Amino acid sequence: MTNFVLCIWNDECEFCTFYSVTKSHLEEEDSLCETDKFFIRFENPTNEYFDAAGQLLIILLESIGNKYGAIDDFFDRNKNCATALPPKPKKSPKEIAILGSQFPLRLYCHRITPHIVILFNGGIKDARTDQLCPDLSLKFIEAQQFVDLIERAIRNKEIIVSKNGRYLNDQSGSQDIII
Amino acid sequence: MKSRIAENILRNTSEETKIFTKKYADLVIRINDVLRRKGITQSKLANMMKKQPSEIHKWLSGDHNFTLKSLAKLEAELGEELFEIPPKSIRPIFYEGPEYSVRTFVVYKDSTKESTPVSSNWNLTTNSKVLSNVC
Repeated sequence: MTNFVLCIWNDECEFCTFYSVTKSHLEEEDSLCETDKFFIRFENPTNEYFDAAGQLLIILLESIGNKYGAIDDFFDRNKNCATALPPKPKKSPKEIAILGSQFPLRLYCHRITPHIVILFNGGIKDARTDQLCPDLSLKFIEAQQFVDLIERAIRNKEIIVSKNGRYLNDQSGSQDIII
Repeated sequence: MKSRIAENILRNTSEETKIFTKKYADLVIRINDVLRRKGITQSKLANMMKKQPSEIHKWLSGDHNFTLKSLAKLEAELGEELFEIPPKSIRPIFYEGPEYSVRTFVVYKDSTKESTPVSSNWNLTTNSKVLSNVC
């Protein structure tokens, strides 16, 4: 995988900062990050998955971002090194299981701390496993590669968690981190 | 900093979807927390509720069509509230401002005297009768 940039996707929530990754170089101002590439597919209200995308955003920004932070209950759908949202429906009644087993979308992510989550790309879950889904299989592999490189950079101190625990910086203190 | 695309989707997302999703997340957190804190496993919960473990498994794995009654049973066995509806007390409403009261008056007409119309526009009946409830 070529270099990618770790950039802030949303830092306006009370308990959690969301990052995303951009594959292109910094000079290309208009290029979308991976998470925006995921959501833009469902941006039109007439899209079949528009409601599901809205539900996913509420889970991210309201429940994780503004109410609970990135706690374990939201990150129980492990995909090798990465995690996928929404959380599993285990130990939950039917009404709340709708978002779990039948939920048509998956968004890959990686939790750094309870206050920092990195979001990747995702897609439509229409087969038994993510690897069997035409829309997910490549993004699944990409997410693993992103997590591997990010974890390696954290171990090598190329990425440092800020003192207040809400941001990631490189060694020069920049918040746009090239990996 | 916010994603413009995320903002756009949220702006068009219905209020119903927003409420459902928030309540969903709250309920997941609540049930998981109670089970974890009390160290309750599925088989233990089945014993407590005098039900087959397979039935409890259905309840907790999403294969059961929950009703308010079955959720109430779950609440009773777990000994903690899963749903809370904020109490709204009924209070009398006081209006600020001047006090008004309504009074009723009865006007007696003296039938022995001839009355002169105060306005020529008034079209008074000549043979007016005393009302039955007026003495």
